[in-house]
Order: sequence, then C-alpha cells, then structure tokens
Amino acid sequence: MSAKPSKSCPIPTRVLHLKDWSQLPDCYSQTPGGTLFSTTPGGTRIIYDRKFLLECRNSPIARTPPCCLPQIPGVTVPTMPPLGKLEEQEENDKDLTVDDSQFEMDI
Amino acid sequence: MNQFDHLKDDDTGDNEDPAANREGKSDSSAVNNHNNNGRRKAISPGAGEHPLQYNYTFWYFRRTPSRPANTQSYEQNIRQIGTVASVEQFWKLYSHLVRPGDLIGHSDFHIFKEGIKPMWEDEANKNGGKWIIRLRKGLASRFWENIILAMLGEQFMVGEEICGVVVSIRFQEDILSIWNKTANDQVTTSRIRDTLRRVLNLPPNTIMEYKTHNDSLKDNSSFRNTKITL
Repeated sequence: MSAKPSKSCPIPTRVLHLKDWSQLPDCYSQTPGGTLFSTTPGGTRIIYDRKFLLECRNSPIARTPPCCLPQIPGVTVPTMPPLGKLEEQEENDKDLTVDDSQFEMDI
Repeated sequence: MNQFDHLKDDDTGDNEDPAANREGKSDSSAVNNHNNNGRRKAISPGAGEHPLQYNYTFWYFRRTPSRPANTQSYEQNIRQIGTVASVEQFWKLYSHLVRPGDLIGHSDFHIFKEGIKPMWEDEANKNGGKWIIRLRKGLASRFWENIILAMLGEQFMVGEEICGVVVSIRFQEDILSIWNKTANDQVTTSRIRDTLRRVLNLPPNTIMEYKTHNDSLKDNSSFRNTKITL
C-alpha cells in the first residue's frame, strides 16, 4: 500500500439502515468475490471474514505450489500438498462411477 | 523439574540485525513471479487476487537440542519462509507448510507484517508486548489457523497496532501469541483481548496473559512472569 501525500479533510459519513441488499448504495466498493469494503474510521481497510478467507482456499491460484519455497525438512512441504491428495481422491471417485456403470451393463 | 524449566531456555531476542537472514531473503521471499530479473522483488497481489491490508512474512525458528539457548542461536536459527500480499498467496504458502501440531521439538512459526522482525528489539516491537494463550497439546493447529485468519482479515480493529502472531511448540504445552506495538495502550490491548476471545471461541474462564517485550528482555524469557488476566 503506497502512501500518497494529500490534504486531509474529515470523511463525510452517513448512516444507513438497510432492510435488503438491493438498498446498498452505489458508492460501496466490491472486490472480485464480493467482499464489501468502504471507509472506516482511520481510513479504508480491507476486511475479510473467516468464512470468506476459507472459501478462497480452493481457488486455482491458491492451490499451485509457491515458487522459491525454502526446503526445511519437517516444516515445508515441497511435493504433494494436502490439496493434491484431494485431487487424487476425486479421480478415484470418478473411476468408481465408471466401474459402476460397467457393472450395470453386465446385468 | 517443573514444566517452566523447559521454558527457561526460551528463545531470546538479540541486539543486532541478523545478517544471515538477509541473505536468505532473495530466495525465499517471492511467492508470485511478475518480474524475473533477479533483484529482490516487491511482493504484490497478482491479477484477480484478493489483496491483504498488509503484506505478511512467514518465519520459522527451531532451537536445536544440542545447542544451548543464547542470543546467537535465536538470530542464526530464525528463517524467513516467504512473504504474501494476497489471500491466495497466503493459502498457497500456508498449505505447503506443516501444521504446527506436527512440528517436532522446540519450534515456532511467526507471521509478522512485512518489515517487522519477530524480535523484541525491532523498532516496531520495542515498546510493545504480547497476549499469550497457553494451549494443551492437540489444539495448536486449529487455533493457529483461526488467529491468522483474524489477523489477515483485519478483525482486531486496532489501527496499525498489530505486529504479528506466533505459535510456539513446547514440551508440555503450546503457546499462541499476538504482538502489538504499544504495550501501555490499554484500549488497544483490551480490544485485542476481546477479539481473541471472540475469534478463537475461548471459554469464558480462559486465562490470558500479557507480557511487555521489555520485561521479556529483562528476564530473558518469552513466557514467564506474565501479567495474568481472567
């Protein structure tokens, strides 16, 4: 986050009570993925709740291994990450489905 | 011999910048790869990624059993693992680290804002302190993840005060710590304590301890002689 020199002035605020998401004013910003952020006391802050952070875990970017990870035995995991195992399981499940239909064909 | 004897030889701070660390930085800091010209890269969120309010650096420390604990051993044994600037980069790195519950021996993971070393003497820490929560064995991995998510997600609402979080694996217990810049700012420390209770779902009678880094420096210990809060 770079600091840009600027004149300071009080942040204009208004309080809204919303009964529905459709009432949300246009001046709210939204990150891709839907986290709302706006101006909070002390300036704009990027806030994520736990649920949202956990949902990001499965994105393709997050699942690829990091480059330049130092190899520390017992600490860093260079090869098969836990998510890698999940992919393997999914493939096994698909194989089972194929086998099931073959079995039915036999009957 | 009681359990505190094991904590006697705790990780110590030191007075000098670990030069050894800086050499490791250029290899280990990049998580995303926008320019490959070999200079130390500024870490920033990639396209389509969700930016964090701050960049965070992961560190690891392990005290080798044969070596006695002293200032030298802390600065030489602490290592940077990587720096992240987005939610996705965080998961990318975090998913490739062993969970703290699976670490062996006297070990620590630290996640600190980029530019702040997990050492008492760092500029950001010298007037600061930390809340600590002692966990029985088996809880560290879950609590560590939840405290990280709260920090990255800016749940503490204390402006710039948070410096970082630490999970310390020890002989009979594990310890979660959160470091803030101004130890005597009671509004801040109270808010941090209350947020911890909420985000970690702590039972109401959980003991929470605060210790200033100055006190740690004086008694050369991270976890003894803390102020206890119920």
